[in-house]
Amino acid sequence: MDRETVTKVARIAHLELTEEEIELYRSDLEEILDYFRVLDGAPSSDGLLLNPVEVSDVLRPDEPHMEIPADALLADMNTYERYVRGPRVQ
Amino acid sequence: MIDLPDLSKINEKYRMFSEIASEISTDAEFAFSAKDNLTAVGFQARAGSAILEGYRPLFDAACIEKMRSAGGFLIGKTNMDEFGFGSFSMNSAYGIPRNPYDTERSCGGSSGGAACAAAVIDGHVALGVSTGGSIACPASFCGVYGMAPTYGRVSRHGLIDYGNSMDKVGILSQDAKDLGKYLPIISGDDRRDPASCNHPPLQKRFRKLRSVAIVKGEASAGVDAAIRSAEEELRSMSVDVETVSMDSLRYALPAYYVLASAEGSTNIARYCGLRYGRQDGDLSLKFDDYFTKMRSEYLGEETKRRVILGTFTRMMGFRDKYYAKALGVRNAIISEYKSIFERFDAVLTPTMPFISPRFDEISGMSALETYRADVLSVPPNLSGLPHISMPCGYSEGMPVGMMLVADHWNDDILLSAAEEWQKRFDARRSEVAI
Repeated sequence: MDRETVTKVARIAHLELTEEEIELYRSDLEEILDYFRVLDGAPSSDGLLLNPVEVSDVLRPDEPHMEIPADALLADMNTYERYVRGPRVQ
Repeated sequence: MIDLPDLSKINEKYRMFSEIASEISTDAEFAFSAKDNLTAVGFQARAGSAILEGYRPLFDAACIEKMRSAGGFLIGKTNMDEFGFGSFSMNSAYGIPRNPYDTERSCGGSSGGAACAAAVIDGHVALGVSTGGSIACPASFCGVYGMAPTYGRVSRHGLIDYGNSMDKVGILSQDAKDLGKYLPIISGDDRRDPASCNHPPLQKRFRKLRSVAIVKGEASAGVDAAIRSAEEELRSMSVDVETVSMDSLRYALPAYYVLASAEGSTNIARYCGLRYGRQDGDLSLKFDDYFTKMRSEYLGEETKRRVILGTFTRMMGFRDKYYAKALGVRNAIISEYKSIFERFDAVLTPTMPFISPRFDEISGMSALETYRADVLSVPPNLSGLPHISMPCGYSEGMPVGMMLVADHWNDDILLSAAEEWQKRFDARRSEVAI
């Protein structure tokens, strides 16, 4: 794990790190990834499940509806004329 | 029921709540608290994170909705490691809960505030959440009972997710009977949680624990002595006890941290200073720069570490080496548990390898050393198996917990075991000064 990789991964994750943070996470991740090498010798199995128990897909009906009134949702938001304020697109 | 002045006073000393109710109804049938990653009308839901400061959800989490319907009064939101990332509740933007047996020691994590509230407040039931041991660990350190049910049994609707393939809502209490009383209340199918399955439903008549397989692991001398004594007590309760080995367990911890970090890093992506919580950044910045600035400023050190780790293990070229491998390891561990459950009702280990450490000891640990503290609590969480931590002894005046793990959907065996155990084991109460 080098400083460039830490910086690149952080950028993908929308994180800007200080010089001290880059060194801290570089050192920590190197130790952690080294520990993960024990997985190289681990048993595996066919048919990878994403959950530990079988779950059936639960999809709600595709019907538009509003559970919470828009005004209530906007009450705690930073708004201008009932639009949520956001940063610049360009 | 505790009144508001006493609750405020207790919280000043132990800091188990990140927010307490503005008033407390004395008419309610019972009081309960909820971990701060569960949404509740009337409270902020900050999950220990500064980036969620000011987030006031407009709906109750399913478990809170059910507790309120059953006559419960929510007295507060309990402190926790940010987004559940931690084992000592020291990674919170809202204070560190203090262990009621020694305020210079940790309550454990990440449901540390919940365990502290359960230990300190008479007749209190605390809702906690476990991803890798976040109920069992603090229950052990604070000397209370803590139950994480089978994955899918309790709806996570309204939970601020950490690791979706492992997150479970559970209960902590001084009284083992509370677990059996309230778990049926919060259990059940819920179409609002895609992983909710609750099949088969929780048995109404709990089955008795008849046999236990003990898996030996590395633990301190004090913890070992308490477990040995518990082993003898179980035998005297006519439970068959036998020692077994589980070879796959040595892979559980790295597999867990790969999966949990991968899932956690995707979940944290939605917190960017716009949709939830803080929205007070410089809006003249471009989108990406705004999100980066807000996340860099308000996410804590451990959250950043896990986001970077999880993002790395999901990157092109590393996905098969880490993520896919960890999924395979999880299957192998489940298979080994299942083979043991053909002969035994439950697997027993210490909950934690040591008693609650002091804060100065924790500050000296590396990130990996703190992860290693979860070595015993991770395997059942990775496997979605129901598990319960029960107080079983004391070392240096601090509580020691033992953990029973049962097969999927056999939660009832653990509940009955805890009730039986409580009749035999005389748990101490911490001295609480109000």
